[in-house]
Amino acid sequence: MSMLGQTPATEIEAPISTFEGAATRPAQSYWNESWERLRANRIGMGAGILIVILGAIAIAAPLFTQFLTHYEPYRLDLLSTFQPPGQPHLLGTDELGRDTLTRLIYGGRVSLGVAFLTVGLSLTLGTTVGLVAGYYGRWVDDILMRIVDTVLSIPAIFLFILMSILFRPNPITLAMIIASVGWGGVARLVRGEVLSVKQRDFIMATRSIGARDLRLIAIHLLPNVLPVLIVAASLGVGQIILIEAALDFLGLGIQPPTASWGNMLTNAQSYFFHSVWLVYFPGVTIFITVLASNVFGNAVRDAFDPRLK
Amino acid sequence: MLVKYLVRRLFASVVVVLGVTAITLVLMDRTRGTYVPGIDLNPNLRPDDIERLRANLGLDRPFYVWYITWLWNVLHGDFGRSMIDGSPVMSHILDRLPNTLELTATAILMGVLLSIPLGVIGALRRGSKVDHGLTVVSVAGFAVPQFWLGLLLILFFSVTFEQHGWPWLPSSGATSPLGGGDILDRLQHLIMPATVLSFFYLSLWSRFTRSSMLEVLSQDYIRTARAKGMGERRVVYLHGLRNALIPLITLVGLELPGLVSGGLVVEVVFGWPGIGRLLFERALQYDYSTVMGVTFFATLLVIAGNLLADVLYAVLDPRIRYA
Repeated sequence: MSMLGQTPATEIEAPISTFEGAATRPAQSYWNESWERLRANRIGMGAGILIVILGAIAIAAPLFTQFLTHYEPYRLDLLSTFQPPGQPHLLGTDELGRDTLTRLIYGGRVSLGVAFLTVGLSLTLGTTVGLVAGYYGRWVDDILMRIVDTVLSIPAIFLFILMSILFRPNPITLAMIIASVGWGGVARLVRGEVLSVKQRDFIMATRSIGARDLRLIAIHLLPNVLPVLIVAASLGVGQIILIEAALDFLGLGIQPPTASWGNMLTNAQSYFFHSVWLVYFPGVTIFITVLASNVFGNAVRDAFDPRLK
Repeated sequence: MLVKYLVRRLFASVVVVLGVTAITLVLMDRTRGTYVPGIDLNPNLRPDDIERLRANLGLDRPFYVWYITWLWNVLHGDFGRSMIDGSPVMSHILDRLPNTLELTATAILMGVLLSIPLGVIGALRRGSKVDHGLTVVSVAGFAVPQFWLGLLLILFFSVTFEQHGWPWLPSSGATSPLGGGDILDRLQHLIMPATVLSFFYLSLWSRFTRSSMLEVLSQDYIRTARAKGMGERRVVYLHGLRNALIPLITLVGLELPGLVSGGLVVEVVFGWPGIGRLLFERALQYDYSTVMGVTFFATLLVIAGNLLADVLYAVLDPRIRYA
C-alpha cells in the first residue's frame, strides 16, 4: 500500500544542512535566500527585466504612440495600406493602413493584461479551493477534488470555445474564461502542499493553543504554500499568453478592432504574397514575450524551490 | 487490489463524464438564446415552422430533459443526429476521427522517436555545446505559438517555394481535392501540421528524458553496474534508459487525450478535416448534438489516457503500488 519515494532521506539531510548554514554565515530568512539565488541568475533576471520593460511600454502606450510612432491604433488610412516597414511607418501598416508598431504596443496592453489578470484569478480561486480541500479533508476534499477532476478533464480548448461564444469576450471576461480552467491545476498543487504541511508539529501546536480554522489556514498554512504559488504564477504567464493568442487568432478572444497580438495574425494568411511583415512582427512579439516569461519562470522556480532543479 | 482500484477509478470517471457533458450542455443552452440551429439555412421559415423545428430538435423542453434523453440514447449507443445537416453524429465523428488520429498519432510518434535520443544525448553530454543547443531549441519550442509556427511553415514551404518554382508542400487539407488520396499525397499534406504539433511534444519530452536520465544515472545501481565492470553502453541503455523512460510513459499517456482535441488549432491553420475543427465549426453553429457527441468522446479519451498511463506506469515499474 505504500508508495515509493517516501524515503526518510530528506529528514536526515535537513538538520545537517541547517547546521552548516548556521556555522558559515548568519541565518537568513527563506525569502532572503531565495531572492539572493534569483538575483544571482543573470539570464533569469535579464528575462524578468525584459518583462517589466514590456509591461511598462504597454502601460505607457499612449506616450509611445504619440512620441515614437505618431499614429493612433485605430486610425484607418486607406491611402497607405500594406506599407512595408521603414519611414514613416516603422513596422509597416496593415490592410486598413493602421500602423503595425502602434497596434503591437496597444496589443501588449491587452495580451499582458489578460495574462496577469488570468494568473491572478487562477491563483485566488485555486488557492482557496486547495486550502479548503486540503485542510478540511474528508467529504469536502472529495467533492472539491471531483470538481477539479471534471474541470481538468474537459479538453480545455473545447471549453474555451463554448465559453467564448457565450461571453463575447472583452479582456476581463477572456481572463475569466481562461482562469476557469487554470484554477484546477493550482488547486491540486496547493492541496498537495497543505496535506504535507498539515502533518507538521507546529500546526498541532497552534491548534492546541486554541487557534481557529480560519486563523490556521490564513496565517499558518497560506505562507507555507506561497513558494509553490510564486513558482506556479511565474511559470503560468507564458502559457496563458500563448492560449490567449491562440483564442484571439481563432477569432474567439479579443474582437477587432481592439488590437491584440493574436488577432493581428488572424488575417495574416491572406497577405502572405505581398506583406509578410504582418505575419512576422506579431508572432515575434508573442515569441519573445513568452520566451522571457518562461526563462524568468524557470529562474524563479530554481530560486524558490531548489528541490525541483 | 488492482481490481478494486480500477472499479474506484471507473466510478470516478462516470462522475467526470456526467459533469463534463452537463457543463457543455448548460453552456450551450445559456448561449443560444432563442436561436434554433439551422434557422438561417432557410430565410422563409414562418414562426410556426420555427416552433415545429424546435419541437423536432427537442429544444422546446427544458435543457435537463434534453440532457436526460440524450444520456439515455447515448447509453443505447445512439448519439443522435446533427442539428445542422441531419446526418448521424456518429458518422460525422467516424468521418473525421481517422484524419485527426493520423495527424496526432504521427506527431506523438515523431515526438517520442526524436525526443528520447535527443534527451539521452543531452544527459550524456551534460554541459556540452550539443546540450546547450538542445536546451535552447526546447526552450524555444515552449515559447513559440503553434499557429504562428504553422503560418511560418506555410509561408516558406508552400508560398515561397512555389514562388521560386521549387517543389512545394500543400498548405491545407488532408488530400488533394482532385485525384489525391494515395500515400504520397497524404504524406505531403501531413508533414507540416505533424511537424508543428510534434515540436511542442519534442520540447517537452526531450527535456524530461534528459532530466530523468540524469537522475537515474546518479543512482546507486548504476554505480554498482559500472563497478562490476559492465560496459558503458550496456549501463546507459540497459540500466539507465529503461528506468529513465518509466516516468516518460506517464507524460506521453497524459497527451493521449490530445489525440482528439490537442490538434484543434493546428487543424484550423492547416485546414485539416479533423475532429477538432468539426467541434470548432459546429460550436459556432450551436449544433448541440454534434458538440455533445464530440465532447463526450474526447472526455472518454482523456479518462482512458490517464488511466492507461497510470496502469502502464505500475506494470512497468513494480515499485509502484496502487493506494
